[in-house]
Amino acid sequence: MTNEDKKIIPAASVNPEEMDKNGLGRRGFFRWITVGWIAFSAATGGFFTLIIRFLFPNVLFEPPQTFKAGFPNDYASNTVDTRYKKKFNVWMVRDEGSIFALSTVCTHLGCTPNWLGTENKFKCPCHGSGFRMTGINFEGPAPRPLERFKISIATDGKILVDKTKSFKWEKGEWEQSESFLKV
Amino acid sequence: MLQTFKDIIDILSVPTISFTFLTVAFPFIFPPSDWFEKVHRKLGIWRLWTKPGFYGGMIAITGFFVIGYFDPNFHITLTKADNFPIVLMVYSMFITIWWSMYQAYENDARLEKGLKPMEYNDPDDKVLVWPDLVYIEFIALILFMVFLIVWSILVAAPLEEPANPASTPNPSKAPWYFLGLQEMLVYFDPWIAGIVFPMFIIIGMMAIPYMDVNKKGDGYYSFKERRIGMFIFMYGWLVLWLFLIVIGTFFRGPNWNFFGPFEFWDPHKVVPLNNVNLSEYVWVKLLGQGMPANILLRESIGFLALVGYMGFLPILLAKTWLKNYFQEIGPVRYTFLMMFGLSMLALPIKMYMRWLFNLKYIIAIPEWFFNI
Amino acid sequence: MEKNKNKKSFLERMGESQVWKSIIRSGVPRSRRQRMQAVLGSVFLHLHPARLPKHAVKVGYTWCMGGLSFFLFVVLTITGILLMFYYRPTVEYAYTDIIDMAEQVPLGIMRELHRWGAHAMVLTVWLHMLRVFMTGSYKPPREFNWGVGVLLMTLTMFLSFTGYLLPWDQLAIWAITVGTNMARAHPFIGHEGPGASLLAIGDINLVHAGSDVRFALLGGRFVGEASLLRFYVLHCIGVPFIVMILMAVHFWRIRKDGGISGPL
Repeated sequence: MTNEDKKIIPAASVNPEEMDKNGLGRRGFFRWITVGWIAFSAATGGFFTLIIRFLFPNVLFEPPQTFKAGFPNDYASNTVDTRYKKKFNVWMVRDEGSIFALSTVCTHLGCTPNWLGTENKFKCPCHGSGFRMTGINFEGPAPRPLERFKISIATDGKILVDKTKSFKWEKGEWEQSESFLKV
Repeated sequence: MLQTFKDIIDILSVPTISFTFLTVAFPFIFPPSDWFEKVHRKLGIWRLWTKPGFYGGMIAITGFFVIGYFDPNFHITLTKADNFPIVLMVYSMFITIWWSMYQAYENDARLEKGLKPMEYNDPDDKVLVWPDLVYIEFIALILFMVFLIVWSILVAAPLEEPANPASTPNPSKAPWYFLGLQEMLVYFDPWIAGIVFPMFIIIGMMAIPYMDVNKKGDGYYSFKERRIGMFIFMYGWLVLWLFLIVIGTFFRGPNWNFFGPFEFWDPHKVVPLNNVNLSEYVWVKLLGQGMPANILLRESIGFLALVGYMGFLPILLAKTWLKNYFQEIGPVRYTFLMMFGLSMLALPIKMYMRWLFNLKYIIAIPEWFFNI
Repeated sequence: MEKNKNKKSFLERMGESQVWKSIIRSGVPRSRRQRMQAVLGSVFLHLHPARLPKHAVKVGYTWCMGGLSFFLFVVLTITGILLMFYYRPTVEYAYTDIIDMAEQVPLGIMRELHRWGAHAMVLTVWLHMLRVFMTGSYKPPREFNWGVGVLLMTLTMFLSFTGYLLPWDQLAIWAITVGTNMARAHPFIGHEGPGASLLAIGDINLVHAGSDVRFALLGGRFVGEASLLRFYVLHCIGVPFIVMILMAVHFWRIRKDGGISGPL
C-alpha cells in the first residue's frame, strides 16, 4: 500500500534538493521563470517606452519665439495693439504705467479671442470666455487669465518679446519685473 | 401671426426653458415607474408611440424646418452644408425611436396577454441566408449608395478659407458629433468635459451590460420590462447628447452666445456672464472676509460638497431609497452604477447651478489646473 | 422541340464548367442544399450563418444599420484610397489639392462621397447602437461584443475627427485646435491638467508643452505641419488598422455568441 503510494507521487515533488543535483527542481524552476518574466516585462516595457519616445522629435522646426515689437512710444496709453497678433500671437497692451505682451491663446481651449474695443474686453468666439484689457478673465468658461510673455528693451531701444517664457497671474508671476515694462 | 409664433419659439428654445421642459417631461414620455406610467396613460402621451403620433411628430419637425427655411435668419444656419447631417440626425432619430417604441408597446401588450413577442418564430422554421438575407442587403446597399451619390452631387463638401492660425472664426464649432462635448465645455473645465466625461461615457456604455442585471427584454423590442434602464439611457442619449448637439448646431452663435432659431446672429449681443466660484460665495459673500491663503482651506467647502455627492450620497441611497436594489445587484455593481450615474447627473446639476447662481466652479484651484 | 429540351441552358452549362466549379464549388445555387453551400463556401458570405431565424432578416428589426456601417467603411476605404492619389498632406499643398480635387479631377464628387459618407457612417453607427440597445441585444451572452461595438463607435468618431483637419481650412484647424487642447488638460500627462505639476524633479517639470500627450498627437506645440502629417497617417493607416481588427472581432463574436439576438 505504502509502496504503491510512493510510486504515484511525481518525482519532482519528492525532494527538491535532491533534484537540483540532476536538473531543475521545483524551486529552481520558479526562480528561473520569475527571472524570465521580469526580463520579458522589462524588455517589453522598454520597447514601448522607446515607441512613446519616438513620438517626440529632438528638433522642432517651429517659427522663432522672439521678436521685436517697435518702440515703447509706439503705443498710446490704455490701448490694445493688435498688429502682432497675426504673426506672433501676441497683443501689445499699454495700460497706465506699463506695457506688457499678452498671449492671444485663450486659456480655455486655445482659440484666439477678439479684442472688442467698444466693450473694452477680449472675447473668445469658441466658448464665450471674456477677458479684461489686463488679461484677467471675468466671464465664460476660461479657468484663468491670459498669459503674459517676457518683455524687455533691446540694445537698439526696441521692445523685445520672448515667447519662450510666460508669466501666469494665478501663480503671482505678474509681479516679476520681466513680465512688464515700466513706462 | 407667424412672427409671434417665431418669437414664442425663440423664447421657448432658450436652454434654461427647453432643457427644463425636456427634463421635466422626460419621465412622462418614458415612464420609469407606475405613477409616471399612470400619468403617461392619463394625459395620452402614449399616443406619441402610435401612428398618429408618428405623423404628428413628422409634421412638427418638418414644419419647423420649412418655416426655418423661409426665415432669413434660420435659413443661414439650416442651409449650411455641414448642418445637413444634423437635419438627417433629427429625422432618423425620431423615426427610429418612434419605430422601436411602437414595436415595444405592441410587444408589451402581447407579453401582458401571455403571448410571445412578435419577433418570436419557431426555432426550427428558419430562412436561408441565400437568397433571403443577401438580397435584402444587396437592395439596401444599392439604395443607400444611390442616396449617398445624390447627396454628394447636390451638396458640395464645405471648404472654408485657408487655415489661418491668427484669426478664429466666430463662432468656431467642433465637428457636429462632438457638439455635445463642446456644450459641456461651457459648464465644465476641459479636463472634465474633454477627458473625464468622454472616458466615463465610453467606459460607462461598455459597462451597461454588466450593470444591467435585468434579464428580461433580450432580443426583442420592449419597454415595460426594462423601463428604468431604458429611462436612464434615453435621458442620457436624447437629452444630454442629441439635444445638446441640436443646441450646439442651431442655437449657438457668435461668441458662443445663445440665439433662438429665428434670431439674428448679432456678434455684439451682450450677455452678462459674471460667474462666481463657490469658495468666493462662501468666504466673501457669506462670511464677509477675504479668501484664505491656504488653497485647501479655501476650497474645503467644494471638496466637502464633492465628497458628499460622490461618496456619501450613494451610501445614503443604498441604506434608504435604493435598499432593495443595492441588495439585488451587490456592492461592486452598485458602486460603478453610482459613479457613472452620478457623473451623468452632474452635468444637468452644474448647468442649473450656472443658470441659477452664476456658479462657475465648485472647486477652483487654477494654480493646479484643478477646477470642477 | 425535343432537341431543345435536352439542350442545357447557358446558366447550367456555366455552372458545370471547370472555372465556375473551381470558384463556387456548389454550382448555381438553386436547391436548398446548394444555397446553403454557397453561403458556407464563400469567405464573404460566411460572415452569415447559412440559415437564420425569420425575424433576423426583417428590416423592421435590424434596420440594416450594422451592415450599412460596414458597407460605408468599405466605401470610405475605396474613396479614401482614390483621394490619396491627389492629396499631399503639407501646409503648402493641402488646401489647393482639395480645391483641385473638385475642379481639376474628373468625377469631382469623390471628396463629397468621402465626406458625406463619413458623416453618414457616424449616423449609421449611432443608429445601430440605438437598435441594439432598444432590443436589449447587449444582454448576456453579448456583453463583450457590445463593448467592442462601443469602442468601434468611438473610433468611428475619431476617424471622422482626424479626417477633419486634412482640408486645412479654417473649419479644420480650429476644430482640431479646440479638440486637441482638451488633451492638454489631461490629468497628469497633459501639461495643463491636474497633477501634471506634481511630476517634476526639483524645478524641472517633466510634463510641459513639449512633452505631453497633446504634443504626441500634434507633433508640435501648436497645430502645424507636423500635426497635419500625424493626423493624415492616423486617418489613413493608424485608426483604420485598429478598426479593422476590432471589426473582425465584432463580426466573429456575433456568430460565436449565438448569432443575431432574438427572443428565446
